[in-house]
Amino acid sequence: MVVIVGPSGSGKSTLLRCINRLETITDGELVVNGVPLHNKKIDINRFRREIGMVFQHFNLYPHKKVIDNIILAPVKVLGMSNAEAREKAMTYLNRVGIGDKADSYPSQLSGGQQQRVAIARGLTMNPKIMLFDEPTSALDPEMIGEVLDVMRSLAHQGMTMVIVTHEMGFAKEAADRVIFMDEGRIVEDATSEDFFKQPKEERARTFLSRLLHH
Amino acid sequence: MVIWDSSVLFDHWDRYMQGFGQTVLASLLALIGSLIIGTIIAILRISPYRWLNVFGAAYVEFLRNIPLLVVVFFFFLGLPSLGIPLDGFSSGTIGLMVYTSSFIAEAIRAGIQAVPKGQTEAARSSGLSYVQSMWHVVLPQAVKVVLPAVGNQMINLVKNSAILGVVAGLDLMYYADLISSDTFLPIPVYTFVALFYLVLTVPLSMAVHYMERRFARSNA
Repeated sequence: MVVIVGPSGSGKSTLLRCINRLETITDGELVVNGVPLHNKKIDINRFRREIGMVFQHFNLYPHKKVIDNIILAPVKVLGMSNAEAREKAMTYLNRVGIGDKADSYPSQLSGGQQQRVAIARGLTMNPKIMLFDEPTSALDPEMIGEVLDVMRSLAHQGMTMVIVTHEMGFAKEAADRVIFMDEGRIVEDATSEDFFKQPKEERARTFLSRLLHH
Repeated sequence: MVIWDSSVLFDHWDRYMQGFGQTVLASLLALIGSLIIGTIIAILRISPYRWLNVFGAAYVEFLRNIPLLVVVFFFFLGLPSLGIPLDGFSSGTIGLMVYTSSFIAEAIRAGIQAVPKGQTEAARSSGLSYVQSMWHVVLPQAVKVVLPAVGNQMINLVKNSAILGVVAGLDLMYYADLISSDTFLPIPVYTFVALFYLVLTVPLSMAVHYMERRFARSNA
């Protein structure tokens, strides 16, 4: 689990969104999974099916039931049969603890439940990597825990995840690797332990001390 | 001098009916066509390809800023002069279709852009193509936003179909002109014409209202 931290506007989300090219790559090279993403000629749709993404504002499809939100891409992109996709979707919905909400519409769910649906939606594609863009920033405080729990258990199952977050406690305890960004650059890249105990860079130290002091 | 005589309706019932039928047919064809063309043009206008945007924008700006009559005359008089003969009904219907499609394209574009960008991002990030995310995710949500505006355009289209009368399109208006010049009773003749148009437009606008309410009630 890689966690990207840093002050607002430091380019964390942009970096994350470059990984599946939601952000246009204007210059330089980026190779993900052996695919040269900066090359405009690659089959981006084929590449994206191997990378799940979870957004700050969930971005569930409001006109579709939970179950239909989840099976859309598996059926249309992977060519799974409806029944197969449903079965898989239910497996993951149960895993994130909301199997009983399959036939609800997103608007009938709490923020935490919606975000868990979004995670199940990503997982049903069998991705090699999951990207999380501030997955708890839009949640009420009492719902942050349930989403972090799901992510923690994913990490235990060995899912590769890249997470942009402001939840330092979570980063400290669950991350393998921490990337600290400031002003659009990666300033420090360290193991979680090193980063939180003895950050090398001055800017990282200031950032951490500011967080700890309130 | 006789001003009002209801018997024009019954005496000329067959012509009224024939014209009414053609008006309904022209409206229906133009409506279906303009919805299809309008949706395609709207998608061109917002597509990531610059030259498609330009084409879409040019189409809309050109067509919605010239009079319908000019568009219809282009098909009715212009094409035959190039050796492509078109009768009044066809040229009127095609002109109406093309003209209305530019307004519908604008309405649909606005609707598509009202759908949050995150929806497209979620769809694209899961590997759906541009067209797939449009079809399965964006358009179904845009419909709700677009419905009132497109409903208005549908009603305008039915009313604008009277243009067929000018190019001998054998519609309601065309026959009304004939009946009027036969009977010298324009007031009852055109009053009944107005009623025939209302028979089409009032249920249409009620249907649009009904669908609006239905969509509004369905989840967010």
